[in-house]
Order: sequence, then structure tokens, then C-alpha cells
Amino acid sequence: MSPILPPLKPIPIKDRVSVLFVEKGNLDVLDGAFVVVDKRGARTHIPVGGVTCLMLEPGSRVSHAAVALASRVGCLLLWTGDSGVRLYSAGQPGGARADRLLYQAKLALDDDARLKVVRKMYAMRFKEEPPARRSVDQLRGIEGVRVRKMYELLAKQYGVSWKTRNYDHTNWGSGDIPNRCLSSATACLYGISEAAILAAGYAPAIGFIHTGKPQSFVYDIADIFKFETVVPVAFRVAAKKPRDPERDVRLACREVFRQTRLLRKIIPSIEEILAAGGLNVPEAHPEAVAPAIPNKENIGDAGHRG
Amino acid sequence: MLVIVVENAPPRLRGRLALWLLEVRAGVYVGKVSRRVREMIWANVKDGIDQGNAVMAWTTNTESGFDFQTLGTNRRIPVEMDGIKLVSFLPEEKEGSEQDEIASS
Repeated sequence: MSPILPPLKPIPIKDRVSVLFVEKGNLDVLDGAFVVVDKRGARTHIPVGGVTCLMLEPGSRVSHAAVALASRVGCLLLWTGDSGVRLYSAGQPGGARADRLLYQAKLALDDDARLKVVRKMYAMRFKEEPPARRSVDQLRGIEGVRVRKMYELLAKQYGVSWKTRNYDHTNWGSGDIPNRCLSSATACLYGISEAAILAAGYAPAIGFIHTGKPQSFVYDIADIFKFETVVPVAFRVAAKKPRDPERDVRLACREVFRQTRLLRKIIPSIEEILAAGGLNVPEAHPEAVAPAIPNKENIGDAGHRG
Repeated sequence: MLVIVVENAPPRLRGRLALWLLEVRAGVYVGKVSRRVREMIWANVKDGIDQGNAVMAWTTNTESGFDFQTLGTNRRIPVEMDGIKLVSFLPEEKEGSEQDEIASS
């Protein structure tokens, strides 16, 4: 009888590489490994267990076994259109921690706590305290102006002609080069942010600055790191008038994520932001009963299903 | 950390590698050396590999934390996916010509 291997467990986000893109090929499981098989039959192993999120571009096909395996090792699968702008995601279900969800919802529902969280987000993003006695709406307005200025400043710094941030996500080729670079760079950051939020056990939809979108919290978290990571990268690449902007952006993003140690910082930052709300993580109510089958010991992040 | 694996290498080269590295299994050498020493060792592999093939992997500051390079023909060939190096395993019957085609693309 052949020996049975220990069960699969997700590893922490901080020990992984940020993102991999699969442009074409069939994703499948062979001998327990996650592989991309191209049309010649060449197999390329993808170390999904060590990848935060896998971007599947329009030329890829995925088998049932491949999705199941990605989900067991906690790798977020993102189906994207051309150039990596997201369409759909799966593989890392999230919602595994009721206590975290309730905590996040409690913070979002409490006006005072929400304002504190929003202030903390701006403080982390701009590295200074926002003006006192402002509502969330007022802060949002101040931020909008500041962001437009930052775009202009960076465009000038890298010598890129910049009109405004605009793009038509239904028609990829329509945007100008700086906007296209920005879109594909932010798509990488959104993928990582969503994976981190899910891994930490929170809900992508419950946002504080952004609201009403399935990824509101993803945009909130990504915005904190956007101007220190992907935005300068996008302008730097755009300034070189690249032949293949998407590829150059991805290479540069990978480098900046490594330099800024984004994957190491992102989950602790999420916790720090939510802690600024000043509420305690809800305790189990007295009549709660511990699960009959105790949860297995986990070496991954809190929200990973072990 | 440095790992070299040689296949079908002449005994002369295997003895040479064992001067600087530890042969933990047949043809598998490990050690920890500087970049200059690594390049010197790889130059030895290059000159001595003959009909065999070799791969060398070492720790470095890429996102995956390591890099690797190969010598000689093997069904496993390095591929680069937007800044991360992976390996493609070629189907059996299509060796040779196919390999050159992929390597040049």
C-alpha cells in the first residue's frame, strides 16, 4: 500500500510570491501537481501553494481538479479580460471567520468607529493625520483633490503627458498608454489586496471609504499602498513608451512589491486600520457551543480554511 | 545557498565539484558561496559537462528568492512568466527541434 501524504494546508500570504499570469493553456492536476499544459503537450508546473493569486487570461481553460487544488492551498484564482483586468474570482472563498466578519461589520455600522477607521486609512496613505473634525464625506473630497494632484505631479516627474484618469473597461485598446499602464498595475494590486483580505478573514464587500461595490474594502486597502507602489511604476513604464506595456508593468510591479515588502505588510496593516476603530473583536456569546469537530491546527493566515 | 545537479557528467567534473561543494546524493551538490565563486564553479561545469547536462540554483533577491540556470539538453527547460522563472517539461517524442524552438522564443 502506498503511504498517504499529510493533508494540504495553506501557507501564510507573506511567504508567497505576489502574482502569476497564465495567458494560455489548460490548467490541470497531474500527479497531484498544478500544471499548465500547452498545445504541444509541454507541462509547466505552477507552484500554486506559494502564489498569492493566479490571474487567468482569456486563453486559459481550467479543470475542476485544478480549481479544487488551488482552493485547498489558498491560492486566489482571478479570471481576467485582456491585460489582467478582473472579471471573476474563485478558489479562496473567504467568510471563514464569523468573528472577523462581525467585527468588520460592527466597525462599518458604527458612525464613530467608521470615521476613525477612515481617518486611519488616510493617515497611513498620506503619512500624516487628516484635518480634524471632518466627516467621511469631507475627507473623501479632500482625498479626491489630493489624488488628482498626485497623478499630475507623478506625470510631470516622469515626463508623461497626462490628461485625466479615465478608461473604458469594456474597450481595452481605447485608453491612452498611461491609463492602460495604470489599469493593469492596479489590477495586480487589487488581486493581491483581495487575496490578503480573504486570507485575513474579512469581507471584500464591506468598505469604509468605498461602499456599494463587491470589492469596496479591496479598493480601500489597495488605495493605501497604491501611491507607494503601482502608480509610480505605471508612470515610469508609460514614460518609456513600451512596445508591450502590460508585460513591462507586471515586471515592474513584481519588483516594487518585493522592494516594499507589500505581502509582509498588507495583513498587519488591515488589522491596524480596523483596530483604529476602537472596538473590541466580539466575544462569543455565552450560549455559544464549541464546534463538535474542533478546527485543525493551521499554519496559514486566520481566514484560510485549513 | 547553492545547489547544482548534474546528469551524465564525466567523473572528472564530479570530482571537481566536490572540491567546493558537498555531494549529498549522486550528482547533487550543495554549498554556500559568493557570487564570484559561483561563477567560477559554473565555468568549471561549462567546460567539463561534455555530453551531460546541469542545472544550478542559488538564493538571490528576486521575488521567488532564488534563480537558476541550465546547461546541456534536458526535457525540463526554464520558462519565464512575467518575471517569475518556472520550468516546462517537454513531451517525450518531441525532443530536439522543439526544444530549440521554445528556447529561442
